[in-house]
Amino acid sequence: MSLFVTGYYAVLIAASCLAAYLGKRSIFMGIFSLTLISFLVGIIGGAGALRTITILVGILALAAGISYAFREFLVNISGPNLARELRTAPLTAAFGMFVIFTYAIAGIFAGWIAPHGEAEVISSAFAPADANMLLGADQLGRDVFSRLIYGARNTVGLALLATVLAFVMGAMAGLLAAVKGGWFDQIMGRLADVIMSIPSLIFALLMLSILGTNLAVIVIVVAVIYSPRVFRLTRAVAGNIVVMDYIEAAKLRGEGDMYLVRREILPNATAPMIAEFGLEFCFVFLLIAGLSFLGLGIQPPTADWGSMVRENATLISFGDITPLIPAAAIALLTVAVNFVVDWMLFRSSGLKEQ
Amino acid sequence: MGDLTGLVLKRLGFGLITLLVVSVLIFFAVELLPGDVAEAVLGQGATEETVAAMRDQLGLDRPAPVRYFEWLFGAIQGDFGVSLISGERVSEAITGRFINTLFLAAYAAVLAVPLAIFLGILVALLRNTLFDRVANVLTLTSISSPEFFLGYILILYLAVKAKAFPAIASLTGDMSLLELLHRTFLPALTLVLVVTAHMMRMTRAAIINLLASPYIEMARLKGTPPWKVIVHHALPNAWAPIINVVALNLAYLITGVVLVEVVFVYPGIGQLLVDAVSKRDFPIVQACCLIFAATFILLNLAADVGAILTNPRLRHPK
Repeated sequence: MSLFVTGYYAVLIAASCLAAYLGKRSIFMGIFSLTLISFLVGIIGGAGALRTITILVGILALAAGISYAFREFLVNISGPNLARELRTAPLTAAFGMFVIFTYAIAGIFAGWIAPHGEAEVISSAFAPADANMLLGADQLGRDVFSRLIYGARNTVGLALLATVLAFVMGAMAGLLAAVKGGWFDQIMGRLADVIMSIPSLIFALLMLSILGTNLAVIVIVVAVIYSPRVFRLTRAVAGNIVVMDYIEAAKLRGEGDMYLVRREILPNATAPMIAEFGLEFCFVFLLIAGLSFLGLGIQPPTADWGSMVRENATLISFGDITPLIPAAAIALLTVAVNFVVDWMLFRSSGLKEQ
Repeated sequence: MGDLTGLVLKRLGFGLITLLVVSVLIFFAVELLPGDVAEAVLGQGATEETVAAMRDQLGLDRPAPVRYFEWLFGAIQGDFGVSLISGERVSEAITGRFINTLFLAAYAAVLAVPLAIFLGILVALLRNTLFDRVANVLTLTSISSPEFFLGYILILYLAVKAKAFPAIASLTGDMSLLELLHRTFLPALTLVLVVTAHMMRMTRAAIINLLASPYIEMARLKGTPPWKVIVHHALPNAWAPIINVVALNLAYLITGVVLVEVVFVYPGIGQLLVDAVSKRDFPIVQACCLIFAATFILLNLAADVGAILTNPRLRHPK
């Protein structure tokens, strides 16, 4: 039994005893079940498996620490109203906000952060990592780390653009349908039904095969595919607001449709719509990443996470994790957005599961 | 009962109409091409004679609606025309691959459905415990990851490092079922991970929704043991949402299968579609899209019909 294994169990058992002594029941259950699982894993996998567990727990603890600190930071720099809301945010939501913040910084300042240009060939193909290239080179000898940073701007930027477009189209149509009603409502509703009855990836592939793969086409096609979701939500939310008395009063005052939408309905529909924006972004982002992975999205030499996975996929068979890094970057951002959206939905709906 | 069949038939009729509209969309989308199909496919190297010959071969001189109905009647009989690139009949290229794709989806579904329902009910019963929170984070992560991320992780750990399963799912005609299941395990597992996460979350939400209703409270208060509350009181009413969840997720499998097939070089219809899109082989693209859309609509229809059959309240729309 090495020193590491002894120390490992000593720390776990001491921590669980401490938690039990302080009366933190769920923390105690967590740590002690980890101890029991470790016995099993240690017997099967040996010290190596225990080391992996230690690293995983370390990463989790680090993430929790950062989230906690970042939440405190946000609470301190924001105004009193916002600070009160933020204090109730769970750690997962704080972690999500931290990740989004980091990606935003990386995307906006990509040109300054990245040590090399996104299409700049600086070494031989698949060169290993060194002090100059943190993550090694890709199949053409470009710096993977720099391309990852630029990817934050290109991939996320494109997804954001498509989401905004989808949102504007869907929300406008939904609000107008709710206000006008009648045939406009019917036509828009049936149109949304048809678009949603084709799987989104399949629809995107069909349109891209016809219209070719350039950025404008991708943005518009993806926006059209996902706008019916926004339309349905906006239509439902606005439909509940339209029957209110104050809308009736505004109509009797002789206000126009645009006034109703802007001044009466939108302010009352923002909370669910912000959450929907986050969800929508996840769908759009995953679809664009999938298209790029299939070689039908953002075209080379522009750095993009989906195509980076595809270009370096051969490295997987040599046990190299380079192609997983951009894929992990995609997953991390989507998870982060989902965490934040989860919290917002919980807050806005006031849903308390018993 | 006559009322019930009427309702189901009406729903089937709606599905058929949707499918018809989608087929119109798929056919006429190709008409959006600048110029026409012949010019688009021949591209830069087109001379007037070759374009004219191709137009003649495809019958492009006739009006679009006429060609649409020909295409549609052909499609109903399983004839999707001829590939523009290889000259092969589309139906021959598709049939074998479609069976492969169905096999993969069925394999994933057989593993995922019981697992997801069991785990979903479990987390619903253990809600707000540590187990539930961990499950919540894990399922959210799984849903948020692109399919190719999960696929490559599985390849890295189970195929390259552990050498337990092959990384590339190549199929030959004379494989035993066991070998087939072993070969296609990794793509199926990738699909299982994504779909199980979706299904678990939806099942959990459905069960929790149900457990909050007053009659469950009543059963609990009169002292019924917890397992009996679930099996006798909650489950009969939970079937409707669970069937719905299963059908919706099988529909989701249809989209997920495309990316997974590309990752594992699986000879299915998704891979064929992606190849055809990059080569701009329109008859194959149209045929694949129609098949995917039809399966998707069919499964959504099954979800609706299942809900009507298991939930008597839906039989009397207000």
